[in-house]
Amino acid sequence: MNAQIIGQMAVSGALMGLVYALIAYGFQLTFATSKSINFGQGELVMISAFFSLTLTNLGFPYWAMVPGGLLFGALMGLVVERAGVRLALEQKSEGWILLSIIIGLFFFSAAENIWGRDDRPFPTPISADPIHILGVDVTRLELSVAVGVFAIMGLIELFKRRTLLGKAFEAVSADRDAAELMGISSTRTVMLSYGLSGSVAALAGILVSPITTVGPTMASALILKAFSVAVVAGLDSGFGVVLVGMFLGALESLASFYLGSGWREAPGLILLILALALRPNGVFGKATIRKV
Amino acid sequence: MLQVEDLHAGYGASEVLTGTTLTVKQGTLVALIGANGAGKTTTMRAISGGLKPSRGKVLLDGQEVQGLDASRIARLGLAHSPEGRKVFGPLSVEDNLLLGAYSRLPRFFGYHAQAKTDLDRVYDLFPRLRDRTRQSAGTLSGGEQQMLAIGRALMARPKVMLLDEPSMGLAPVIVQEVFRTIRRLKEEGITLLLVEQFAKSALEVADYAYVMERGRIAVEGTPAELGRNERVLAAYLG
Repeated sequence: MNAQIIGQMAVSGALMGLVYALIAYGFQLTFATSKSINFGQGELVMISAFFSLTLTNLGFPYWAMVPGGLLFGALMGLVVERAGVRLALEQKSEGWILLSIIIGLFFFSAAENIWGRDDRPFPTPISADPIHILGVDVTRLELSVAVGVFAIMGLIELFKRRTLLGKAFEAVSADRDAAELMGISSTRTVMLSYGLSGSVAALAGILVSPITTVGPTMASALILKAFSVAVVAGLDSGFGVVLVGMFLGALESLASFYLGSGWREAPGLILLILALALRPNGVFGKATIRKV
Repeated sequence: MLQVEDLHAGYGASEVLTGTTLTVKQGTLVALIGANGAGKTTTMRAISGGLKPSRGKVLLDGQEVQGLDASRIARLGLAHSPEGRKVFGPLSVEDNLLLGAYSRLPRFFGYHAQAKTDLDRVYDLFPRLRDRTRQSAGTLSGGEQQMLAIGRALMARPKVMLLDEPSMGLAPVIVQEVFRTIRRLKEEGITLLLVEQFAKSALEVADYAYVMERGRIAVEGTPAELGRNERVLAAYLG
């Protein structure tokens, strides 16, 4: 009985953890090309979820709403890059941190004004009835999270390995200046990474909203944990975020079950502190040697 | 093919180039020699766009390119094999080569078929790379990485190729191999600007040479002329 509850909690927690992993993966994409990340990524998740909800309410079917949401996320990612990050990177400053937070706040106010402050349900055609797999109950909705996360990460990795544009993306990540000498525009590659990262954030919003509801503050808890996952796994760890995300998700779910729901946020923060103290490059990250 | 006129460039407030002027005619190999810190690498970077010149002109095939982004200049036909080789370590040897031809290949699919002839040409020139196509470039030896860097620049079918310190940090046997390669590139008619520490070896392959001192050209001439110049003899060829 007890083992079954633990198993059940761990599995549904781990599935939620995949959402953290997906957002963390979005951090990795932009960090690879520009050594910058969007601190307003949570607002991007939220505003894309609201946009997708609007599409759904306008009568778009699920299969048309998803690409619409992803496209919107990509556009918003490009807005963050153009209006914020690029200005700072051009001056080789760290101003992108503050600028991306500010753009996030702007998205937040925009969402409150357009869609209101209330949390709203996100209708989905995917059933929430549990199905029994290997002794635990999971819903199709939870499984759709796993399918979506692995599908988009797989597609992006395939793009990076199989297309010349993807290889150019990797080249900019490895050595920006040398890539420029090949005729690869690093500015465009950074734009591409922000666009992809925006799509990834939008998908995270679309996948999680039917489970958690949509509201202006929906992403604040998500983003903190995605950030923990990114730091714990390492910002250059690739699929390392998946393992750490699932682990954190499972841990949280068990913590809130055994210690009370007030402790739900604790494991992520403890992991973050431990990682920063013990493995600043992440569990799966490569140690970077700074050349002076 | 490549003309540099009164080029000024530097890092922040410190000006390294104080009016460099040089010309590389089509199909010739021009060597740029000089002491450490004379501004050879800075000249190369200012030509290829890694560094924005503060004054002066760079003409590539008659077109002014100074001030453009490096990627733009590369697409206009300048290939720069940089100091320290700068191969893409995590990527495979073949991917490195393919990226060399980035500007004229399709972005998504079919790029491999289209690059086939150029790949074969590079592999014929450097048979050792053919055995390592799938290996990641970071695991190659220094000499192999240099071959890869030159091969990658060749893939672009450039109008002008800049070769910065290709012998740096290599064992003497490998240095000889590098110079044999440079000679072959010259025989193929590739227009080359070569920066070298080994002034003597560079002058042996060059058609014309410039000697840099403190950010400008101090002496220029054919290798034979420089060989008769006592100052050059004492300082660089001794």
